[in-house]
Formats: sequence, structure tokens, C-alpha cells
Amino acid sequence: MPAQQDSLWYKDAVIYQVHVRSFYDSSGDGNGDFRGLAQKLDYLHELGINTVWLMPFFPSPLRDDGYDISDYRSVNPLYGTLDDFRSFLDAAHKRGIRVIIEMVLNHTSDQHPWFQESRSSRSNPRRDWYVWSDSDTKYKGTRIIFLDTELSNWAWDPVSKQYYWHRFFSHQPDLNWDNSALREEVWSVMKFWLDMGVDAFRLDAIPYLVEREGTNCENLPETHEVIKDLRARMDREYPGRMLLAEANQWPADLRAYFANGDEFHMAFHFPLMPRMFMGVKLEDRKPITEILKQTPEIPDNCQWCLFLRNHDELTLEMVTDLERDYMYDEYAKDKAMRLNLGIRRRLAPLLDNDRRRIELMNGMLMSMPGTPIIYYGDEIGMGDNINLGDRNGVRTPMQWDGGWNGGFSPADPEMLYSPIMLNPVYGYHAVNVQSQKRFDHSLLAWMKRLIRVRKSTAVFGRGSMQFLYPANHRVLAYVRKLGNETILVVNNLSSSAQAVELDLKAYKGNILVEMFGRNVFPRIGDLPYLLTMGPYQFYWFKIRRV
Amino acid sequence: MPDESILSDEFIRELINVGEVDILVGVPTHNDARTVGQAVQGVRAGLLKYFPRARSVIINADGGSRDGTRDLVRAASINDTFGTNFPALRTLHSISTQYEGPPASGTALRTILAAADLLQAKACAVVSPESTSLEPQWIERLLLPVVQEGMDLVLPVYRRHKFDGLLIRNLVYPLTRALYGCSVREPYPSDYAFSSNLGTNFLNQNVWAQEQGRHGTELWLTLAAIVGRYKISQSFLGTRGRLETPPSDLVKAMRETAGLLFCSLDCYPAAWQGAREPLPAPCSGCQPAVSLEPMRLNRKRLHQMFTFGISQLEPVFDSILSAPTHEELKRLASVPENEFVLLGPLWARTVYEFAAAYHRAVIGRDHVVQALVPLFRGRALTFLQENREASEIEIENNLEKVCQAFEAEKPSLLQLWDGGK
Repeated sequence: MPAQQDSLWYKDAVIYQVHVRSFYDSSGDGNGDFRGLAQKLDYLHELGINTVWLMPFFPSPLRDDGYDISDYRSVNPLYGTLDDFRSFLDAAHKRGIRVIIEMVLNHTSDQHPWFQESRSSRSNPRRDWYVWSDSDTKYKGTRIIFLDTELSNWAWDPVSKQYYWHRFFSHQPDLNWDNSALREEVWSVMKFWLDMGVDAFRLDAIPYLVEREGTNCENLPETHEVIKDLRARMDREYPGRMLLAEANQWPADLRAYFANGDEFHMAFHFPLMPRMFMGVKLEDRKPITEILKQTPEIPDNCQWCLFLRNHDELTLEMVTDLERDYMYDEYAKDKAMRLNLGIRRRLAPLLDNDRRRIELMNGMLMSMPGTPIIYYGDEIGMGDNINLGDRNGVRTPMQWDGGWNGGFSPADPEMLYSPIMLNPVYGYHAVNVQSQKRFDHSLLAWMKRLIRVRKSTAVFGRGSMQFLYPANHRVLAYVRKLGNETILVVNNLSSSAQAVELDLKAYKGNILVEMFGRNVFPRIGDLPYLLTMGPYQFYWFKIRRV
Repeated sequence: MPDESILSDEFIRELINVGEVDILVGVPTHNDARTVGQAVQGVRAGLLKYFPRARSVIINADGGSRDGTRDLVRAASINDTFGTNFPALRTLHSISTQYEGPPASGTALRTILAAADLLQAKACAVVSPESTSLEPQWIERLLLPVVQEGMDLVLPVYRRHKFDGLLIRNLVYPLTRALYGCSVREPYPSDYAFSSNLGTNFLNQNVWAQEQGRHGTELWLTLAAIVGRYKISQSFLGTRGRLETPPSDLVKAMRETAGLLFCSLDCYPAAWQGAREPLPAPCSGCQPAVSLEPMRLNRKRLHQMFTFGISQLEPVFDSILSAPTHEELKRLASVPENEFVLLGPLWARTVYEFAAAYHRAVIGRDHVVQALVPLFRGRALTFLQENREASEIEIENNLEKVCQAFEAEKPSLLQLWDGGK
């Protein structure tokens, strides 16, 4: 466990999301593994992140990249053993890196022994661990999430001659959270990992835990009760651990998941993310400020999780039709890029590999109120392969160097779990860690600097936020404050140079110190503070009284 | 204000904040608080509905309103602190500036053109603040031909009452058509759109210090577009509603129309004297554009003003008109009202003789223009009588006859121009 026992450690976290399978293969079987991941901890430590979020690594038939779990208390042999995981965890903690693991509680794989037992007979003790029905008409009106592949939330099981409920793929039957025995077993599973030293759980697909007739089966009070119960138990027995909610909802609906600071510690701010992309494309801060104005206050011990990209499609569920059409037209002209009301692309391709825009987006990610997450590979500007189907195009092997398999694996290329990127722009010859380490001005070097500056102050993670509303709508400006420390952030969302006048009267007499170069800018006076900014440029200023 | 800049520092600062735009809609105002709110709301709705992704701005060029007009225009803004109820993808600035000098539509237009030039607006529209019937669709109908079809000037076609726009119908339209070979129904528009190409060109013309740079400038813009062979189209907008206003000053109107047209003859001799191909001005969505509801009119008064003018201005007409034309008009002044007919050919000839007199400055040019007023009243009286019971088609046919009369009489102007009488 990291030396610093701060119960609010997650507010200072810089999280790195990684899939074990994609990161580094030490065994030569074509799949990344925990021993390989452990070998790359120094890289992550150098990058500056202090928390790793691991995508699912439990045993699974891998029909949904591990989100279909068939055993909650083990490690998929492809990635190693439980001991390998323990060693990795230990090595991470020694470097001051905390570890978040996935806990998929809404559903299991249909290959999980629980489901195999449940379906075997209607009198099986685990029958009620899943949601069965004689007809497929219950819970009518519940939306289908995987629109591109599923036609119904019910699937017929020929073995037990009933329908079972599934909010995701049909091979992922939903667990029945009304069953107390199931609840106890899940808590036992969580204890298993908490005892090992895991710092936090990302609870996947949390809005859908409980279903009730006559509702949309999302965000129900009973679901909140389930989480509160788990949280209370965790706080009692494992203080300092954290629960992170994956709930793709509007901010007002997300608020409930924090409750009074006794439910989730953190939740992803899903609606903000597409609006950051929208703001940069529109060259207008309006989408960003609007969604943050709609974002409710959360308890002091809670935190938003911010991200630009992740393993899933860039979701466009929480936008209007007008906004969705715009995003599709601007960011996914090729219809093959669109999936499940989203866009399945990585950060660099979305931004046309424009270094300035990549920096701007990361700058906003690191300076807005919340805990930032970097998706593996985005720190070097990796590309995507939309021809791989589903969301696999953004889950290609990490590119370490320009050599064999991009340094990911010693196996024959045909054995890799996924083809490595080859094209001249994003392929491993062009984009890899080794070559970017050689240059001070590579994206990787810049990301390290960005994270270092972010971590140099607690303001970004714990401070308040107040928007300035300069008349130039292409500039997004805000002030972050914590105690005596105040930081001014100014972002030019436009592709052209901009002049902006900021109303800083409240800080008259202070000087601005730019945080990357530590150069002093003129003192704030009575007049609006004039800044001129290059295309996509951003500033972080400390506001200091000398 | 900086030398040689018609834009104030404050306005430039606001334009900096707006930045480059795709669409600019200009609203020239002077004490229009009764109607401008509705007009800009129509503009805003049109921009949001038909150009939701475009970078747009509403620019109000005001002549010194004291009734809150400018605040009403500014209230159309949509940004992250204002107008947040509207489902807008992006910020919509609605800004206002007061231009220097007395209220004048030409000065307002110049301000709008300068702003459009600075903001690199690709398509611009100007709408009247007086319109009580401005629909969001007007914005589409005016701007879409510029944005998508590459038109340089889009002029409106309205559904007018048959007795509305008499000056336009009996003089401005037929004269423009005959002289310059372009059939635009509203050459002196209140609502129109233009491309950045035409706008920048017009802004750089040397008109702003002259009378046509202050009044009648919209007509001058139309003429410049025709003469410059820009791509022109017309869009049917529908009924143009306005609040009841006091009777307009016909002398002022005559200066801004006939006077300006006469002046253009000196500026663009090659355009109207040469044998040019007619310039097409296709009309989109055009439909029968005349409404026929009954209207009370004072024909007696028109007749009286005609006859009074004939008698009072006889020496003036002597120096302007040819003897045969003058005699015909004097004969008309002696017939009773119910027999009065100032036919198209006579009217056209009269106008051309006035044009030639203006060119030669036989008397002060402004006096020439003013002297046309009573004669126009006679023509207006004839138009009212001809069309009192007419159907839409008959009115259209009568109007076409007037246009043809102007075209047929054009050789007389050519002859007069070089000194004949």
C-alpha cells in the first residue's frame, strides 16, 4: 500500500487505464500479461501517473474482452496467475501506484458456473441468481444498449426453457440483485480482492443492477441501496478504498450515485467528454460551459472522473440529436467508425493527429475539476484500426519500439491477440515509446511535463472552479482555487490566433506566473487583462501576490 | 474615432470577440423598438433552424435610437450565460453599434459591410427592422442561394397588395429592367442577401461620400450587381407586414429612386447604352404575389395634385420636357378624373425626358427629380383605375405592359442623351 494514507487520495490521482492483454507480453504467447505489466511499471512511474485502472482480467471466454466473467476469484491464464497479480500489485504499491480493478456486478458470462447452475433447473439454489421469465414482455420499454447487435433485452435459454434478462450481449446474463445470497457472494468476492490489497473497484454498468416493472430499469432506488450497502461494508472493513461508478447518465442522474458521500467515491463524467470534442470542433466553449453548469455540486469527499477516450466507443448517448449528428459528421465521416451511438476511435485519429489539439485536450483534461484518466497509448498518440470489429480497434497492442511486434511481444506476429498497427502514420515504426523517449519535445515528454505540473499542486484535484466568461466565445477560461492558491486556466479552442480580455478585477494587484515556464506575466490592473493566444494554445497561471 | 475608420473602437472590440463568421445578418435601425424585437427573434429562429452549424452573428447598425432598440437587438444573443433555453449548438452573437452621422440607411449598410468584411463573412443578409411578418424561413430563402448556389445577390419578392409599392411598380422596376436588362421586382429591397465578394466590392466603391452612399444605397447595390454582371436571384418571401406608418415623403422617395437611377445613367453609360445580354434573375418559390383585398384610396386627391403640378410647374416642364410630351400632359390635366389615363408609353417617355434633363442638368438636378413627383401621381392614379377590378393575372399583365413601354421607349433616351430633344 502506498505510504500516504490519505482517505481522499483519489482526488489527487492521475489514472492510467490499461488492459493487461494489450500492454506487454512477457511469456511470448501473443497476449500481454501481469509479469509484463509489472516490468513496465517503471515506465508508468516515469510517466508520472499514480494510479492504474486495470480492465477485466478474470477468467472469461473473452466474447466481450473480459467483461463477460466466468470466475471472479482468479486470473485469466492468458494473463498469468493470481501470484503474478499479487506480485504486480506489490510492485505497483512500492512505486506509490495504486490499483483499481474492474468489478462487473451487473452480469456474468453465460459460461460462469453460477449461470450454468442457474439454468440447469428451476429448482437449483442459484436459479434466482439471475433474472428469468416465461415471456419476453416484462420490463417493456427498457432501452437496448448494444443497438448494433442486440434486438432485445431478453434471450431464450433452450436449456431451462425460459427467457433470461441481459442488458448487454446475450451471452452476458444479468445477475438478480434482489437475491440476498447473491449479494453476500459478491461481497465475499470483493473481500477476496480487498484482502489482497486492491485499492479500488470500478463497478461496471452500475445503473442497470436492479429492474422493476413500469420503470426504465435504470438508476432505481434499489440499485442505490445495493451500492450503499457495499460501500458501508467496505468503509467499515477496508477504510481508504474507493468505489468508482461507471454510469453513463446525465449529470443530474449521476448525482444520486454520490448520495450523501456514502455511495460512490467517484463517477465518470460521461456527458462532459463529447462536449470537449464538440467545443474544439465548433471552436466555441458553449457546449463545455453548459454541461458543467448543469453539473450539480457533489459531496466534499466525492470526485468526478474525467477522460478523453477509453476502451469503449466515444459515447454520444448523452447528447441531443443535433449534437450527435454534428459529431458524427465531423468526427466519424466514415460510417464504419460509428458503433452503438458512439464513435470507436482513439484520441489522436479523432484529432487528425494534430499535436496542438492533442495537447489542448489533455490540458483541459488535467485542469478541469476531477480526476483525469489517460487511456493507454494516448500518451504517445497511438492510432486505431476500425477494421477490427466491435471496439477492438482501440485495443491494439502497446507500441514500445520500432522492432519485432513493436516491442510488445516476442511471439510470431500471427499469434498476437490483435494485429499491431502498421500504417505509416500510426504504425509502430512511427509511433512508439522508444523513439519518443529520445526527444524532449515528443508527445510523451510533453505528457510527462503536463502530469508533473498537474501534480505540483492540489488545486486541480481538490479545488473549486469558477468560469470566467470572456466575450470571445472561442476562449474557455476558469479559475481554480484551493485555500490560498489560485490558478487561472485559459484555453484557446480555435484553430486561429485569438485575443481575449479577461475580467480579473477581483485579483487586482496580483501577478500571473505561467506554470510550465514559470515566467512572470504583467500585473493585473483595473483594465481587462489582455492575452493573445496562438491556435489551440492554453495557459496555466498561478495568480500570486508578490 | 480613429481616422478613416467608420467603426468605433468599442465595436471593433466586439467584432474581435465574434471572430470569423460564416453568416452575418445586418439589421439597420432607428427607433424601431416596436418591431425590431420580433424581427430579430425571427432572424435568430431562422439561423438556429436553417443554419444550426454555421458561425453566425447579428449586427445592428443603429442611427441613434432612444427607445431601447439596441437593447432589444442585443437580447437576441445566445451564449453560455444568455439565451440558454434555445437548443443552439454554438454561440450566437447579437451586437449593436451606433454609427456616426444622421440616421441613413446607406450609412447603416456601410457599417454592416465593414463588419462583414472584417469578420470575413461568407454570406450576408440585411433585414428590415420594420417587418412584422419576418418568418424564420426568410433567412433560409435569402441566404441559402448565396451559401449553396453561389449567388452574389438575392433580392426578395413579396406578396404585396395590388396598390402597394406603386413607385416600385410604375417606375423603379420597369426603369431598371429597361435600362439594365434585369427583371428584378424589388430593386430597392429592404430584405436581401449578398455574397462576401459583392459586399467587399461594394464597400470599396467610391459612393459613401455621395448622396447614394446615404440614401437609396440598397438600390445602388442592386445596380452595381447588375452592371457588374454578378449572379442575381430572387426569393419569394411572402407577405411583408409593416405597422401602419404615416404617409411617406414622396419627394424623398423620388430622390432615392428616380434620382438615383438617373444618376446611375452617368455612372454606368456602357451598361445601359450597349447591347448587353439580359441578366437572368431567376425567382425561387415565386407564386402569384398580389393580394386583392379592398382598399380605400383618394383618387381625387391624386388627380388634383397632378393637375396642380402641371399648372404650377409649367416653366419647369418647359425646360425638361419635349413640346409634344408637355402638350399631352397638359391635355391630360384638363380632362375629368374619370377620363384620366396616363398610359405606359407616355409615362415612359416622360421619365426618359426627365432622365435626359437630369443628365444635362437643365435646371438643378434635385429640382428635376422633385418635378417628377406630381407626374408620378398621375401615373399612380391611372394604375389604380386600371387595376381597381383587375384579377391577379390582369394586374401582372398591366405591369408587364408598363415594362414593355419602357423598353420600347428606350431608344428615345439614347437619342436625347446625346443632345436631341
